[in-house]
Formats: sequence, structure tokens, C-alpha cells
Amino acid sequence: MFKGYLCLVLHGHLPFVRHPEFEDFLEEDWLYEAITETYVPLISVFEGLVNDGIDFRLTMTLSPTLISMLGDPLLQERYLKHINKSIELAAKEMERTGWQAAFRDLAQMYFNRFSHARDTFLKYNRNLTLAFKKFQDLGKLEIITCGATHGFFPLMDTCRASVRAQVKVAVNHYESIFGRKPNGIWLPECGYHPGHDEILKEAGIRFFFTDSHGVLHGSPRPKYGIFAPVYCKGTGVACFGRDLESSKQVWSSIEGYPGDFNYREFYRDIGFDLEYDYIKPYIHPDGVRINTGIKYYRITGQGNNKEPYVEQWARDKAASHAGNFMFNRQKQASYLNGLMGKPPVIVSPYDAELFGHWWYEGPMWLDFLFRKIACDQDEIRLITPSEYLQENPRNQVITPSLSSWGYKGYSEMWLQGSNDWIYRHLHMASQRMSELVKIFPAAEGLRKRGLNQALRELLLAQSSDWGFILGTGTHTSYAVKRTKEHLLRFTRLYEELRSNSIDEGWLADIEHKDNIFSEIDYRVHQ
Amino acid sequence: MNVLNKMKEKIKKLVPARFTLKRKKKPLAAKTPVAGFGKEMPSFQETVVTDAKFSHPEPSRPARFMQEELPYQYDQDRIVLQVRDPRWVHTYWELRSQTIDRLKSRLGDDFKRARRVLRVYDVTNIIFNGSNANSFFDIQINDFASSWYIDTGHPGCSFCVDLGLMLPDGRFITIVRSNVVQTPLDGPSWITDEEWMIPEDMFARLYGMGFGLGRSSPVGGAWQERIKQGIFSSGLSSSPVRKELKERGFWMKVDCELIVYGATEPTAKVAVQGKPVNLRPDGTFTLRFWLPDGKQHIPVKATSGDKLEERTITPIVNRETR
Repeated sequence: MFKGYLCLVLHGHLPFVRHPEFEDFLEEDWLYEAITETYVPLISVFEGLVNDGIDFRLTMTLSPTLISMLGDPLLQERYLKHINKSIELAAKEMERTGWQAAFRDLAQMYFNRFSHARDTFLKYNRNLTLAFKKFQDLGKLEIITCGATHGFFPLMDTCRASVRAQVKVAVNHYESIFGRKPNGIWLPECGYHPGHDEILKEAGIRFFFTDSHGVLHGSPRPKYGIFAPVYCKGTGVACFGRDLESSKQVWSSIEGYPGDFNYREFYRDIGFDLEYDYIKPYIHPDGVRINTGIKYYRITGQGNNKEPYVEQWARDKAASHAGNFMFNRQKQASYLNGLMGKPPVIVSPYDAELFGHWWYEGPMWLDFLFRKIACDQDEIRLITPSEYLQENPRNQVITPSLSSWGYKGYSEMWLQGSNDWIYRHLHMASQRMSELVKIFPAAEGLRKRGLNQALRELLLAQSSDWGFILGTGTHTSYAVKRTKEHLLRFTRLYEELRSNSIDEGWLADIEHKDNIFSEIDYRVHQ
Repeated sequence: MNVLNKMKEKIKKLVPARFTLKRKKKPLAAKTPVAGFGKEMPSFQETVVTDAKFSHPEPSRPARFMQEELPYQYDQDRIVLQVRDPRWVHTYWELRSQTIDRLKSRLGDDFKRARRVLRVYDVTNIIFNGSNANSFFDIQINDFASSWYIDTGHPGCSFCVDLGLMLPDGRFITIVRSNVVQTPLDGPSWITDEEWMIPEDMFARLYGMGFGLGRSSPVGGAWQERIKQGIFSSGLSSSPVRKELKERGFWMKVDCELIVYGATEPTAKVAVQGKPVNLRPDGTFTLRFWLPDGKQHIPVKATSGDKLEERTITPIVNRETR
């Protein structure tokens, strides 16, 4: 008997990293790895489910920066080069490991996997966004948007024009790709600040998510806790709170699934393990060892001894973990149903890149979960937020609390000794952008190009990813570079616009480098 | 050291670990329960995992890679306030040199003896006009500071900050005033909607469930405690005095690979252990094998292009590891 809804959300995002000025750029690998390890495997799961007639619902963010990169011809070309090299390396590995059957089979597994990634990539005309769109059009996937460049909104509250620009640029971009406006948004880092729902409403967005305490600590108290959405007071935009119990099952270091000893070990990559001259053509041209994506070991245990990965064992585990997850949701839904007197909605959001990249078996787990939910039970039902709101339009009205899903639940991950220096500059740039919009309410020609580029630079500087990397304190130089670079480009544009002396050659150069959002309209920043 | 620093230490230990062979000495966070806290909070795991998205060493970059510096100031008088969490707010400011000069000439000697102060006003539920604050407190800062973290101690309240001068006679002069911010609550609201009234015990159970603490836990108390410990801690109190045995970092790894290479007529066909091998245009070939312990017979057979002649050479290799 039906007891409650399960709303699974995958948040897919990578910052905009594209460097035409360099032949080979290390950080572009973030995208290539995610394509091979996360996006293609997820698409394959969806394809399999549709082919087998298994009904499913999944909500997924595709951040505007991610969509832009997936659709960029230069990055597409480079991905093809990247995956071809991976296939070449896997083929060499099949030969090298010929005397060790366990490893030979794994080399074969990677060879197949990489070849499949290339085939899928080509099948969708090199643009995987089209694949996700296909499943949205089939009614299985609800794709939601995100901040244009994933700016962390709570720390942009003193310049709401920038929050508005983040939202409007994202919504317009979404519409140009998917042919309709998005119903929902994933606030970057789940960062909600009271009042920002007004901006969402202006942009036609009907729902967003917060972490548990965003709803639980809202005012007045939410009657159903996080197990029913609430409407924001004054705007009526719906807010879904995250369920921590289901999150914990996947994340926790004790009962979390990805740490299972049969699963693949993330940290043992042949890019680091193999003899230098042999692996050199497949690591960074500088000779720095990097991940190749070929990882032969399973987690094995707590110690350093690692045993070869056994595909079948991992598969069995993924199936049993999916069963466990479903069982717990059934129990949870049934218990909550009794308590609430109506069906709860359990909202379980995860970083999409967790699946496949970090947790190799994640997409497989999801596949098993969808199949079991469809075939093995009738207590929980998968649902998207849009469907939920259609079926359950009457909800409580509250003001959710300031919150994020970052460390300690608020803004500290992005506001601490190592990264707080950026806000002085970011806020000033926002203020200046608003000033430019006021001075030039209807610019044309070169000036308009300059204003549009100024907004691109500002948005790119605002990505929360830079603050996050600075906050973790490891390998920060790229994050520093990006923050400064965009701010400096913005500042120069600001000065040139103010003094009516735009250097067209230089403008063309940065338009070529930072070519995101070709349709941007600077006037959204107000 | 606060919790965040502890976490950063852990991430530093764990994350860069993957960039070198030393990483084998450190099992990753997600799998090893380590004494301490925060580890069970999903957000900690997420931080580690999200960081894995950005997994890379830093290659040496060409000089043109790093560019000029950002300006130190923007020639404005301004002070900006923003919220970090339910208790703490952050503020940064700048003053134009003209503003300082004007104060100097106005105050004369008093300026030299004046101290820079942040005055933090509690402006909860009022429209602040400069003199009607519910309460305020002062923080003495130095002349070189340009930002500050302030412990307001009050979740769910509104604050505004003046940067000003405290004169020797006790007078306070405001130089710049910040925006107003409101800290979030750190627990459930006391305001309950009449139309949606909910029995206390039922809410409490829902609340506990919401934090994943199961039915036995009446409220998210443990979680609350964690947040508070992290936020209240200014000194050692947050780090339980418990020494973990430090793992020694020394390690070694040895493996063997075998390279089999040779040459023949470019038109010939070559098979190694029965498997055909591609020749380079000049007739040379190279194969590389990961060599296990034991004896390997490696027959290399070449057949001439016209298939009339054959040669077989068989290296025998024995690997024994002790």
C-alpha cells in the first residue's frame, strides 16, 4: 500500500573551465573525467531503464556552466582526444597484464567502458545535454537549473542585483537549451537566504531545495518538518527540505555504502602506480602524475593492503545496498505516514559527481534501486517536485531559515580566513556592474559587447567553487588565479567603459576565452 | 584550533595524499572512523567528496599564468556586514585617506589618542536610527585591521555595525555604518502557526527524524551540540585531548616488468606466445609485460612475408620475489 514519496535529486555541476590559450590544461580534466565516469554511466542507466520499460523519476540539476561546457565545440574536440588516449592506454594495459588474469579482465573492463563512453558521446552528437533532454522529454527526468555560475547566494545578499543576474541568466540559458523555462532551481551549495525567493519568483521558478535546518528552523514551525514542502511567505515559492537520514546512508563513514570493502578504491590509479616512462604519455605533459581513470583495486579493508577489484562482487553489493536503501525508505515512509496522517515526501539530494567518479558503483546502485522500486514493492513512489506540487498543492507557509549544505550548515565553508578576502572585491564588482547598467540602460555595438562581457567576467568570478577550493586549503593556485583573473578583466572593462575607451582587440580576446552565455543581456544585473 | 581547522587538517592529510605514492599510508576519510567529530555529518563527507571533483596536483605554470594583483582598496568609505552562521557575523571595511585626514584635522590631538572601535548594535525588530538600538557592544580593533569576525552570541537577531573612534573622553564617533543583517535561528522557531498547530511531541519526533537520529531521539540534540561546540569554541575546548597514534610514513614498493623486443623483416608476421604483434614500419617490435612470480616461456615466432621461412626464439624468464 502506498505510504509516501521519494524524491531523488542529483546535483550536476562543474565550474566553467576552458582554456583555448593552452594546448593542454589540467583542470579541464574535471569535465572529461566526469563525462566518462558520471554522465555517460548515468545516461546508460536511463537508457537501460527506458528500454526495459521500467518507469522512474529523477530530478537532476544541470548547472549552466556544465551545460555550456558540454555544448562547447573546443571542449568536445578535446574530450574526444582525451577518451581516445584513455582507450589506447586501456588497450596497452590489456597487453601488459596478459600474465595476470585478474588485472587483464579489469583492463578489458576499462577498455569496454571507455569505448562505450566514446560511442555514447558520439551517438548524442558530442553533446550529452541532448541525452539528458531526451529523458526529460520522456517524462522520466526533471532537469532543474542552478545559479548561472554557481555563485553562493547568501554571501551575495548585500548585492542582490548579482543574485538576480545569476538566476535570470540561468533561466534564460535553460530556456534556450530545453525550449521551456525551468520549474525549479538548485540554489548553489543549497545556500538560501530569506528574501531570495522573491528573485526566484520574478524568474518564474516554482521550487527550490534547502538543507534540513533551512525548513526545520524556519518560522513559524513547519508542521510536517521536512517531510512536506513549505511555501515561502510572501512569494509562494515552494521549498523542499533535505532528509538527512537517507543522505547519511550514502555518505556516512560508518554505515555509508561507498566505503564497502568490495567497492573500487578511488585512490589507487595507475597514473600514480606504474613505471614512469611507460605511463608518461598518459599523464600531464609536464610530467606530473595524474589520475588516468584506470584503478585496479577494491577498498579491501582499512589497511594499506589492496586486493584486485572483482566486478561481480561489487555488483552484488550494489544490488544489496540498493535493496537496503529501499527497505529503509519503506520503513521511514510508513512510520512517517502514521505520524503525519498523510504521505510524506522524502527528499534525497546528492552531488551527481559522487556517482561514478568517487563511488564507481553509484550508477549501478541507482539502476538497481530504480528497478527494485518499480518491481518489488508498492509503498514508496518516486516523484519529481513538480509532480508532487501538482498532486499536493496545499502546503504550509513559512519563512525558511538561512542555511546551506556546506560544512556546519551555513556560510563558513566559503567565509573563513583563507577565502574571506574575495568578498571585498566581488561585492565591489557587483556594485560597479549595477552602476554600469544605470549609466548605460540601452547600449549598442561595441559598448554593449563590453557590458555583456563585464557581466560574464563578474559571474565567472562568483563561482562558489573558487571559494570552496580556497577553503579546503589544498591546491589553491588555480582558484586564486580564476578569482583574480575575472575580477581584473571586469575592472579593466569597467574602467574602459567609464572612460569610453574600449580596447576592441583585447575585448575580442577575452570574449573568445570566456565565451560562456553567448546570449547574455547585461541589463539583468539590477 | 576549531573544528573547521581540524577538518582542513584532515582534508589536507587525505586529499593531497592521492597525489603522491605516500597516499597509501593514509586511508581515506570516508572509510576510516577517526576519533573526533564532524565525521558523521554528511556535510563533512560531502566536503571530502566534492573536493575529489577537483582532484589534481599543481603543475608548474608558465610565468604569464599569474597576473597582476587586485587593488588593495577601492577608494570608498564603506563597511559591509554578512552572516557566517547563527552566532557569528563577518565584516570588512575600508576608509579613504581623505576621510582619515579630515578626522585628524577635526579632532587634533584627540585623534592620536583615539582608538578604533567596532560598535555592534542589536537592532532586532526595530528600524535603527542610530540611537534606538536594543543594546550594543564595542570591539577594539587596531588601525591595520580591515575585517573582523564578530561573535554576536545571538541567533535569530538583527545586527548593524559602526566603524568608529573612541575618544579619550569616552565619546564615540561613527565613521561608517554597515548594512543590517539577521542571524538565523539555531533551533526550531517558537512561533507556531495557529491554523497549522501541531502537538509538541509530534513535532519533536519529526524533528528528530529530520536529522536522521531515529525515533528514539526526541530532538536533533546531538546535532545541535555539534554545531554549538564548533561555533562556541575559541580555544582548545573543541579538540578532545586525545592523542592519535601517529602512523609512521616510511614505505617501499617494488614491482617487475619485462620488456621483450626484437626486429625482423618489415614484411614478416610476428607472434609472441601465440598472439600476433604489430611491427613498426622498420620491422622492430616491443612488448611490455607485468611480470608475476614464476617461470615464463615466451616463444617469439616470425614468419617471412612469403610464408616460406620461420624462426622461433624463446626467452625463458624466472621471477622470484623474496
